[in-house]
Amino acid sequence: MKKIYFLGILAFVALTVFQACEKDLPTNLEFSPYTYETLDENGGTWKPVLLDSATLIGIPAPESASSAAYLTELADLKAASSDLTSDQKKAVAYWSGDGLVRWNEVARDLAAKYNLPPAPKPDGTYGAPDPANPGNIPNFPFAHPPYACRMFAYWSAAQFDALIAAWHYKYAYNRPAAYKTDASISTHLPQNDLPGYPSDGAVVAAVSKRILTAMFPLEKEYIAGLATEHLNSLQWAGISTESDIVWGDSLGRGVAGKFLARAGSDGMKAAQTPKPISDSLRVAAKARFGWQWDNLESPTRPVGITPYFGRVKPWCIPNVEAVRPPVPPAPGSAEFIKDAEEIKDISKNLTQEQRKIANFWSDGPSTYTPPGHWNRFAADEIVDHRLNPLRAARVLAYMNMAIMDAGISCWDAKYYYHYARPIQAVPGFKTILGTPNFPSYTSGHSTFSAAGATVLGHFFPAEAAKFDRWAEEAAESRIYGGIHYRFDADMGNTQGKACAAHTLEVAKADGAE
Amino acid sequence: MKIILNKWLSMLAVCTVLAIPISRAQTPTDAIMMEKGQLCVAAIYGHDTWDEYWEGTYKRSNGNIGTLTRQSVTGMFSLGITDRINVLGALPWMKTSSSAGFFHGVQGIQDWGVWVKARAIDFKVGPGTLGFYPVLGLTGPASNYLPDYLPFSLGLGAVEASGRGILIYELDMGLYVRAHAAYHVRGNTTIERDYYYIPGSGGVYSDQVDMPNVSSFGATLGALLLNNNLKVEATYDGMNTLGGADIRPHDMPFPSNNMDMTRAGLSLQYYIPLGNGHILSVIAGGSQVLTGRNVGQSTAFMGGLTYQFGVFGNKKATN
Repeated sequence: MKKIYFLGILAFVALTVFQACEKDLPTNLEFSPYTYETLDENGGTWKPVLLDSATLIGIPAPESASSAAYLTELADLKAASSDLTSDQKKAVAYWSGDGLVRWNEVARDLAAKYNLPPAPKPDGTYGAPDPANPGNIPNFPFAHPPYACRMFAYWSAAQFDALIAAWHYKYAYNRPAAYKTDASISTHLPQNDLPGYPSDGAVVAAVSKRILTAMFPLEKEYIAGLATEHLNSLQWAGISTESDIVWGDSLGRGVAGKFLARAGSDGMKAAQTPKPISDSLRVAAKARFGWQWDNLESPTRPVGITPYFGRVKPWCIPNVEAVRPPVPPAPGSAEFIKDAEEIKDISKNLTQEQRKIANFWSDGPSTYTPPGHWNRFAADEIVDHRLNPLRAARVLAYMNMAIMDAGISCWDAKYYYHYARPIQAVPGFKTILGTPNFPSYTSGHSTFSAAGATVLGHFFPAEAAKFDRWAEEAAESRIYGGIHYRFDADMGNTQGKACAAHTLEVAKADGAE
Repeated sequence: MKIILNKWLSMLAVCTVLAIPISRAQTPTDAIMMEKGQLCVAAIYGHDTWDEYWEGTYKRSNGNIGTLTRQSVTGMFSLGITDRINVLGALPWMKTSSSAGFFHGVQGIQDWGVWVKARAIDFKVGPGTLGFYPVLGLTGPASNYLPDYLPFSLGLGAVEASGRGILIYELDMGLYVRAHAAYHVRGNTTIERDYYYIPGSGGVYSDQVDMPNVSSFGATLGALLLNNNLKVEATYDGMNTLGGADIRPHDMPFPSNNMDMTRAGLSLQYYIPLGNGHILSVIAGGSQVLTGRNVGQSTAFMGGLTYQFGVFGNKKATN
């Protein structure tokens, strides 16, 4: 009996120790700072997205490398980068200089944090987030997929333009990196031949701070703290002097301001329409097609998510009509019945594999949304291919502009056709995923994912087949989840590709290829 | 003391207790031992419903769930390895459904559980006997159910080791008080997506979820009546998850949420000796969750049969 006690206690202790030794779960992509694959010396000549030219936001010529002022900066940098604490070393490795992937992760986490639909009040009504009073309940924003895709698009397009400008000034002024002038500075990141002025890391931090603060106003202090740490890490790393950072910051802020001006008048403010407008879209669809989508939540949500997102100003598609999908099969038609029978059968006999796919791509409330999922894939490729921040921002900018255009186009179709979800159109139908608060046709996941996959496939052609497969699986996942018909998914996939084709036309002409 | 009496009742929990399931609830918490060679098998039906739950500490209903119902059938055994050491096991089948909304219910086998219970100490104190019973347990998912589908999930999907101490003071006249406390060490659970957001903490890029540990406790007042053929127990018990986040307003629950609750229950067990040392018993009970956090306010009922017989050693139970 003593033996059994002993074994039992041993097992318990072993499990406790095992648990204590469990690895911390990753909260970001694990990678080491890398040497850039290319430097893109002529990047300053690429065509920006929004700026008329790379020189629209001017920064002054720096003090020369031999000036007394600069020598003081070098001495300061030397002091700042020697004898790092372990926290400082950690910050240097984390931000790894340009910090673009890290800020993308920050944006993803903020999207997830704010991706929470307003809760019903005790009286059965719903509050609405108020951008003028973001701290009111429910907080602003509700970072649903349209909100998130727009946030990623502005953040990454602004990075791209700001880095084109930075590259322009780097080579126009051509002041070598601090460690090239003073070899005695100890650097804690890989060195390269990029001119040091202005600092690309400071540009990225400034753009991120300004855009993300505008998109998530309640996070102002959190974001400012991250930006400060990022800027400090450039000095701790021994790679950027004070003037490199100050004017990088200035450039980034200036470019971000141009993008925020566009954001202020792109139509997003009117996207979450009042109920009368929302109702008029339903009535119009009923008159035109003979059907309408209804929100079936309890209590009923009075307005779907952003009925006028389809009217938001796109980046590359000429207009929504140019990429609007055809009329979906009428309820009761042979084509509808075929796809309705398919989801009924799947719902009844869901396999383990189907369930897994539905959940893997679900990207619902409290997640970074499908646009965030594709940002994650893009970041993985950026690190794998060791892209410099300008190249990386280019990938993210075109991908996120394509995803936002796809979202605009998809939302146009959703509220133009106003098509009922399976739970509304198929009696007794049940799902394993929550049915979103907007019409069915076409599938947002499918449209976002096809656009993201098409752009990533263009930039990383060796992986194109993989991205296409993922986009198809993302589309399929909504059928398994019971919230879309196959025609929603198929047409969304086609629509996403069509939107991305417009984006790629612009990308191919920007001088980088 | 009639140690032959098989008291399954305190196992009524067996995961029927909370609509947000608590796999660690399937832990034997009584102080009853099978004699060497005695085997008791049981089949218990459980029925558990709630229409209000706690979102953090805010109690609410949800029109997209209505009433959540969890039904279960649990097979259990208890075997006397020696007079002082018993091995117990349980395996529940379960089904969940809601009265409103459009979510699919789930059904299937939940968590296996194995416990070793020992009668470590018992001695006369005043007009009764004081006993101490340590219990070590291990539970884990017995099927590929999805823990990330609360409140419909069958369980939380984590392997869990528990250490429990049971203290009982039993008067010779058949009245007893019993108390237990346990610590539950939980491994990770696995979900089917590889990014999730933990409020107050941040995003995690993994399909693994770190499950906070749990403590649990209980106190029971019991009596043996009708010539020791009827056992009546009133129990107050609870659990406290040592960490985890609250469900945010109108968000979905998550397996690692900070789930706490207290509960009161009443149970009856009636023993029918069948001769030849075989004993049948009928059990019935109910419980009500009183306070909670990130769990449903369950009202539960259960009923079942147990059958005890000798399998080796002295095959007749001593009465």
